[in-house]
Formats: sequence, C-alpha cells, structure tokens
Amino acid sequence: MTPTSAASPPAHASGWSREPTQSPRSKSEAGVIRRARIGDAVLGWACRLSAALIALMLVSLIAVLVHSAWPAMREFGVGFLISSEWRANEIERPVRDAAGQLMLRDGEAVMEILPPAFGALPVIWGTAVSSFLALVIAVPISLSAAVFLVRVAPRLRIAGAASFLIEFLAAVPSLAFGVWALFVLAPLFQKYVGPWLHRIFEPIPGLRWMFYESVTVAGRTIERPIPLTGRDLFTGSLILAIMILPIVTSVSRDVLRAVPRTQIEGTLALGATWWQSCVAMLRYGRSGLLGAIMLGLARAAGETMAVTMVIGNNNQISPSPFAPAQTMASLLANEFAEATEGLHRASLLYVALILLTMSLMFNVVARRLVVGRIASSGSH
Amino acid sequence: MRQRLNGTLASLAVLTIGCGAFGGEVRLSGAGATFPAPLYTRWVSEYEKGHPSVRIDYRSIGSGGGVKAIADKTVAFGATDAPLSEKEIAAMGGTDSVVQFPAALGAVVPAYNLPGVDKPLQFTGAVLVDIYLGRISSWDDPKLQKLNPDAKLPKTPITPVFRTDGSGTTHVFTSYLGTQSSEFKGEIGVGKQVKWPLGQGGKGNEGVAAAIQQTLGAIGYIEHNYAIANKIAFGAMQNKAGKFVLASPESVSAAGDATSSELKGNVLRADAWNAPGDDAYPISAFTYIVMYKQLENINSEAEAAALLGYQRWTLGPGQKFSAQMHYAPLGEKVQAAALAALGAVTHKGKAIPVQP
Amino acid sequence: MSRSFAEFRRRTISSIMFALCAGGASLIIAILLLVIGYLVWIGVSSLSWDFLTTVPTGDVANPGGMRHAIDGTIILVALASAIGVPIGVLAGIYLAEYPGEHVATGPLRFLADVLTGVPSIVVGILGYELVVVPVSRWTHGSVSFSGYAGAAALAFIMIPIVARTTEEMLRLVPRSYREGSLALGATRAQTIFRVVLPGAFGGVATGIMLAMGRIAGETAPLLFTALGSRLLTHNPAEPFPSLTLQIYTYATGPYPEQKRLAWAGILVLLAMLFVVNLSIRIVASRHARMRMGA
Repeated sequence: MTPTSAASPPAHASGWSREPTQSPRSKSEAGVIRRARIGDAVLGWACRLSAALIALMLVSLIAVLVHSAWPAMREFGVGFLISSEWRANEIERPVRDAAGQLMLRDGEAVMEILPPAFGALPVIWGTAVSSFLALVIAVPISLSAAVFLVRVAPRLRIAGAASFLIEFLAAVPSLAFGVWALFVLAPLFQKYVGPWLHRIFEPIPGLRWMFYESVTVAGRTIERPIPLTGRDLFTGSLILAIMILPIVTSVSRDVLRAVPRTQIEGTLALGATWWQSCVAMLRYGRSGLLGAIMLGLARAAGETMAVTMVIGNNNQISPSPFAPAQTMASLLANEFAEATEGLHRASLLYVALILLTMSLMFNVVARRLVVGRIASSGSH
Repeated sequence: MRQRLNGTLASLAVLTIGCGAFGGEVRLSGAGATFPAPLYTRWVSEYEKGHPSVRIDYRSIGSGGGVKAIADKTVAFGATDAPLSEKEIAAMGGTDSVVQFPAALGAVVPAYNLPGVDKPLQFTGAVLVDIYLGRISSWDDPKLQKLNPDAKLPKTPITPVFRTDGSGTTHVFTSYLGTQSSEFKGEIGVGKQVKWPLGQGGKGNEGVAAAIQQTLGAIGYIEHNYAIANKIAFGAMQNKAGKFVLASPESVSAAGDATSSELKGNVLRADAWNAPGDDAYPISAFTYIVMYKQLENINSEAEAAALLGYQRWTLGPGQKFSAQMHYAPLGEKVQAAALAALGAVTHKGKAIPVQP
Repeated sequence: MSRSFAEFRRRTISSIMFALCAGGASLIIAILLLVIGYLVWIGVSSLSWDFLTTVPTGDVANPGGMRHAIDGTIILVALASAIGVPIGVLAGIYLAEYPGEHVATGPLRFLADVLTGVPSIVVGILGYELVVVPVSRWTHGSVSFSGYAGAAALAFIMIPIVARTTEEMLRLVPRSYREGSLALGATRAQTIFRVVLPGAFGGVATGIMLAMGRIAGETAPLLFTALGSRLLTHNPAEPFPSLTLQIYTYATGPYPEQKRLAWAGILVLLAMLFVVNLSIRIVASRHARMRMGA
C-alpha cells in the first residue's frame, strides 16, 4: 500500500458526524467524562503537533535550500532556468579578433578569463525527457499487470505471490538496480539493442538526428555518429521505468480493487467482453490511476543512484535518445561531493530547489486534475 | 544469527542508557578525498595494532565534503586531493590557523582497451590532447604509430572516456594536459570537473573502467592503483625530460621529490605534474591532509596527542604501506617538510606531548 | 455477417488484451528475477560466516566482513522508526480523523505528498546543516556526524510515507464502525485506539514496514549525516556504519576483493528486506483472517 491522494475518497466520506453529546448525571460519571475529554484533547493535540511537524519539515527544507543556494540565486537569477552552459571550471584563453586572429600586445597573446558558468536548462530537459520516457514505457506495463492482478490472478490463486514479488521489487535498493544497470543493462544495449535499433531506424529518412550529432571542438564543427555506449538517455529512462513499475503497479492494483464489483458485473451482464469490462473498470478508477502515475513520475524525477550510473552524465541538450544526458538528481550525485567552490555548490543547491519546486507544482496540478474530475463526475 | 541478535539487543540496551564513554579509548574521525581512502583505512588499522587505545576512522565523502567538514569543525582532520584554495583557507581563519601537508602521492594513467596489443603503448601529452579534442580518431593514426613503431595498431576508432563526477583525478589529468597544450587550456581548461567536447563519460573510476572495458578501442584516464588492482592495461607517458616512463611507486615518488623545494611553511602545496627528472612520471600529484594549527576543533589533550601521534606515524613508518597499496610513498625531503609543518601544531596554544 | 464479424473482432481484441495483461505481469516478475538472479550470482560466492561476524581490517588481501554495517543498519532503522512511526501515525490519524479541520488537513496532505518526492541526497544536506553542524557547535565537536543525525535523516523520509499510508488505511475503515463506537459512549480517543486503528492494523503495519524497507536501502541521506564507520559501534552518538554506506565505499573503490564484499553486502541487504516484506505479508494476512473470524 502506498500513499496516494487520488485513490482516497473525499474527506467527508469517513470521520465524525457529530461529537458525542451527553449530559453528566452523577459526580463519578462527570469524572469519567472529564478524563475522557482530557484524553481526547491530548490525542487531538498530539495529532495536530505531529501533522504540524510535516509542515515544519518542508519549511525548514526550503529555508536551508534557499539559504545555501542564495549566492547562485543572486548571481544568476531566473536566467539560471534557461541558460544551458554548465562549466564548473574557469577557462583562460587567448582573445581572438573577428577574423579569428590572436590579439597580441607587446608580442604576447592577450588572455581572457571565462568564469565558471552555471545554467540548469540541460538538467531540466534531461529530467523531463527521462521521466516522460520512463512513464511511456512503464505505464502500459503497470496498468496491464494491475488488471491482471485484480481480474485474473485471484482466480488462479497466484494473486498473493505475484503481489508479493512486485512489492518486493519496490523494496530493492536503488544501489542494487544501479549495479545491475551498469554491468548488465548498459553492455546489453551497447552490444545488441543499440546496433539493432540503429539498423532498423537509421535508413528511415528524417531520423538522422537520432544517430548523428554535431560537435564543435577548437573552433571546428564536425558531424559525427553518436557512439553507441549503452549509457544514454534511453538506458537511463529504461532503468527509471523498471524502478517505477512496482509503485505504479501496486497503487493501480489497489485503485482497481476498490472499484465496486457491481460496476464490473453490470457491464458483463450487458454482454461486454472481458476486456470491455476491464475498460469500464479502468475508466471508473481513472482519477486514482492518474494519482498512481503521478506518484511514479515523482519517484522518477527524484531517483538518483541507478540513473546516475547509466544516463551518461553529460550536461547537454541533445534531441537524440541515444546521446548521454543528465538529470537534476544525477547532477547532484555527480558533483556535490567534490564541489568546494562556493558558487558551484550554491548552483547545485539551486538545482535541488528547482527540483523541489517542480515536485510542488506537480502535486498542485495533479490535485487540481483529480479533484476537478471527481467534482465534475458528480459521484460520491 | 542468534549471536548477532543478542548483539543487537545489547546495542539497543546500550543506546537506551545513552552510554557514551568507552573506558579510556580515544576516538577520532577524519573525512574527505575518495582517492586515498583505501590507504588511509589501511593506515589506521595498522596504527591501531600498536596503539590499542586509539580508534581513528576515515570516511571518503569526497574532497568537497572533507573541506567543508573541517571548516565546520565536524571532523578532527580533513583530506583533499586539490590543495585548499585561498578562499577556503580564509574560511578556516587564514594561513596562520591551518596546517596542510601531503600524505601520499598518486598517479593517473592512460588506460585503453585494445586486444592484441600486449606491450604498454607510449603516449605523449600532445597526443592525448589530440585524442581528447577529436583530432586523432583512429588507433592507426600516424602520430600514434610513430610513437609505437613496434606495435601493430588496428584501424579501430578511438573512443575517449572521461570522468563525469568532480574528482582529483580529472584535476591532475587536465592540469597536466594544460601544461602540454595552451589550446587544451583555452578550450577545455583545468579543473576537478571540465566540459569534454566528445567521447563518453563514466562516474567514478569504476564507471570509467567499465566504459573502457566494455568499448573496443576506448581510452580513458584512471588512477594508477585502480588500473593495477583491476588489471587494466595502461600506457607509458613521455616526461618533461623526454623519457617514456610507466607509473610505479618509484617514478611517482620521484616526481614528488622533484618539487620538494616548493614545500615551505605550514600550508604546504606543490604541483607534482610535469615534474623534471629522467625518472619522474609526469601525471602525478600529492594528496593532502588538512588540520587546524591550534586544533581548536579537538576537545581534550589526549585526543590532540593521539591525532598528532597518528599523523606523525603516517609520515614515518606508515609510508611503507603506500607502495603495497599501489600508492607512491613520500620521498625523504617531502617527509621532512610535512613533519616540519606538523611541528607547528599545538592544542589551543599549548604544546602537545609527543606520544611514543 | 457484419454483426458476427464485429462480435469476432470484439472477442479477439479481448483475448489479445488478456494475453497482454498476463504478459505485463510476467514481464515485471521476469525483471525482478533477472535483477535478483544477477545479484545472487555475483554475491553469493563471497558470502561467508566471517562476512556476517567480522569487521573490516583495512587490509586489501584479507578485507574482513560487515558485521558492523549489519548492526548499524538495524540500529539506524530501529532509531528512525522510533522517531518516525509515532509521528507518522499520529499525523496520519489527524489527516484521516479530523475532517472538520480540513482547512489544515488539505494543505498538510499536499505537503506530505511533496515531501515523499524529495530527492534523498537533499535530505542528507538538510541533515548536515540542521543536525550535524549545530550539534557539533553545541557540543564543541565531541558529537558531530552521528547515528542520531543519520536516524533523523531517515525519519525525515519515513514520516510523510507513514502519515499518508496510515491516512489511506484509516479511510478504508467503514464509517459505521466509528458511529457504532461513539453511539456506545466511547470517546474519540477510545474509538480511534480500540476500533479504528485495530481495524486498519494490517494496512498500517504494511505501510510502516514498506517505509522501513525504503529507508534501509538509502545511501545518500546517510553520507553527510551518519558518515559511516569501519568500526563496530553501538553508540549512535558516534559516526555510524550502515550496510549501504559500506557497500557504496567498497563498490566504488579500486580493489576486487572489496568489490566482492560489496556484492555480498547487497545480497544481505536484500535478504533483510525480503524478511521484512515477508513479515508484512504474514502480519497483514493473519490480521485479515482474524478480522474475518471476528
């Protein structure tokens, strides 16, 4: 079971209709009631305090991040979001004039110093595309598996075992997936899957961008084939997909299980095929399913260890899924430990803040969507 | 299993009592650079054999983490691959309150995946620059062939491999290449982390090594001890004197010795790459320990004495373990400079008694 | 003719989709078996009694075991749960049982959802800035990186998960139970502790154990808080070892002998998680049976 906003009925479905109203009749009864009131009050405040702690946690998280990211926020402002240059080191190089000639002064080349530059666009791109691809791969598999678990597995008496295995997959640590991805998945893609995709798609006109890139080195631009390394956006998305499969599947299963039997039986009685009744079930639970998908998306965007090992870790924006990329979380994993320089560290925390803000906005949108649907469908 | 369970129960009991003191035992912790971590771990375990009342723990959290931790005074000593910058020294209270000294040397080697080539290939800095800038794209390139007249080089394309995470390794490698080519310095630059125009990346030595081993024709830069321990083929480099030298404890120590005249005062630093001398391996570097000069981050005198005793030991008897772990020991002059820097250390102004 | 064709098409699509659904479920289980199979294959040969009972030696040729890290993970998870479970469950009760205060519960539910998506490395940074540095300053350095700081970081991850799971599970308890209890004169506290919570026990326990499984596998939040240790320690006021930290150190280090230990460590971690998950199942199903019987 996993928390999901969408799977839950609206707040008024459960809870308290009315406070118990009683009038004290004797002294001892009054004592009992007073003690009961105190008990209620203590529980109430313990609950309120605990819940308030959640708010405090998020506030302190944001406060610490803003405080640590402040130098970068002051330096780059909102432009950080749309700048695509990420270079942690200073570069000293000779100045060239418009004709490409070295500028000389007293016989020596005039040098210019390029300060480190930080921009988040490549990692925003990498996070968005890899999460999206992961969803595209994982959602159909998860939904079909959830349907299987709810509609077929119980009849075969394997629902328990299958659910157990899928939930265990959710508990496998990210580190373990990373090891597997680095030593099994990446070589597999490099040796077999990559060349195979190459053979199929390369002859198709208009898909050249998938396999070639132009690189500018030392003033020359060359177009060259993207090396098939197995450590690229595609493999990164695949391992993300694998890692969100269990969560999306188990939440979807819970949602579908909560669909009233009468809904399914009704459609079957009207002559629907097995699949048509499943479609009806999926439609009935769509807001909950959307919640499950959102949960998977949040997990994908924040996933660190495994994706770092196979995404190639290159801060670039390439249209090709076979080029190395970088996500916000993998950027932090790559650079945070060695970031001694102040602005570099602050920029990394600025990225963390953006990731948190995205997750925040994301939840707002998801909630709007789900709540909007429940309201418009008029059920409950 | 049962024993472990008992242990766990006992431990839970301990933590509920909140017991903190371990009778007479001194515990110290250090943190920082990942590269020398196996050596430091070996050192503390060897040191503890002769000093059973001292427990020291070193954790590799990265040089950045180590520098921040010592600046925040959350550890007894920090460790970093790149020497402290002026800003970092200022954050710790200026040159007068910091001690920095080299503890060991390491080297970076050009490792490659070329089945059929048995003898180590020979490289120059200029050729490596050409490879990483994409000007040499095949192993049978005339420039490579000229350096290796006896080797049968295949027509395999070269895939350069680089490290994606910030590391002392990249810092040493780019610093060396920067001395070989001003173009490299102006295009890619020098740093713990730089933006490589082409090739494929790997996170950590293990990521680079995996990329090299999985890609035919790949060349990458990894730490010498990593290449040795994992039996990855690597080449010899031409040094400043024009000789081709393979990385080894001796050739790397020689590079360190050549720079010992630069080591002065209590904040020692010297660039050991591209060092002069016939035997010096050119892609070498020191790795440093950072402490407070007055040990204001240390509470008791006993802890201060233990810390100083341990650090002195690493600079003396400890050095013999370096070569065993495929690091390079410090030469005599470097050791003397480091011990002199340690001599300035006091505990909040008071002299620290020398431990046996 | 066309009608029977439509019927045929309908039936065929249904069969195809049936096969696809079965395929989806099998695919997930196949992936699990592939991953686990690989990890067992690389790890099992390094697993030994010494691995479970000794601590690292620092010597590469004879690296020792991971007893300290196994103990460390158990204690860290126990400590984190001691902080996280009560707070998480109470917060969950608040979200589910106080709908009258929806002005507060709505936004809080949203904040809890946001917190479940925070990247774990950020939690580590927070733990360093809010626990390690202040405590170090306060104790003049005698306590800095510590098991307590690590447990706090893990609890931070645990609380929103437990809170939201508890809430969802409490909502599944029929309203009539509460009304019945109240009608019999029970107080709100009595109703929650004697009727609602027991009614949702299986689900709440599952949520707690899933959260425990999640934090047992975390590395990044511990890196800057517990720091790790190669020593056997049961005192959380010191830098504290964990399986994941030790695995990470060995897996990224240069020596094959240590790497093999890392793979064995992953296997031990998986076995521990397997036991936890199995107990979830047993607890949940036994509870379900008990309730059925009642």
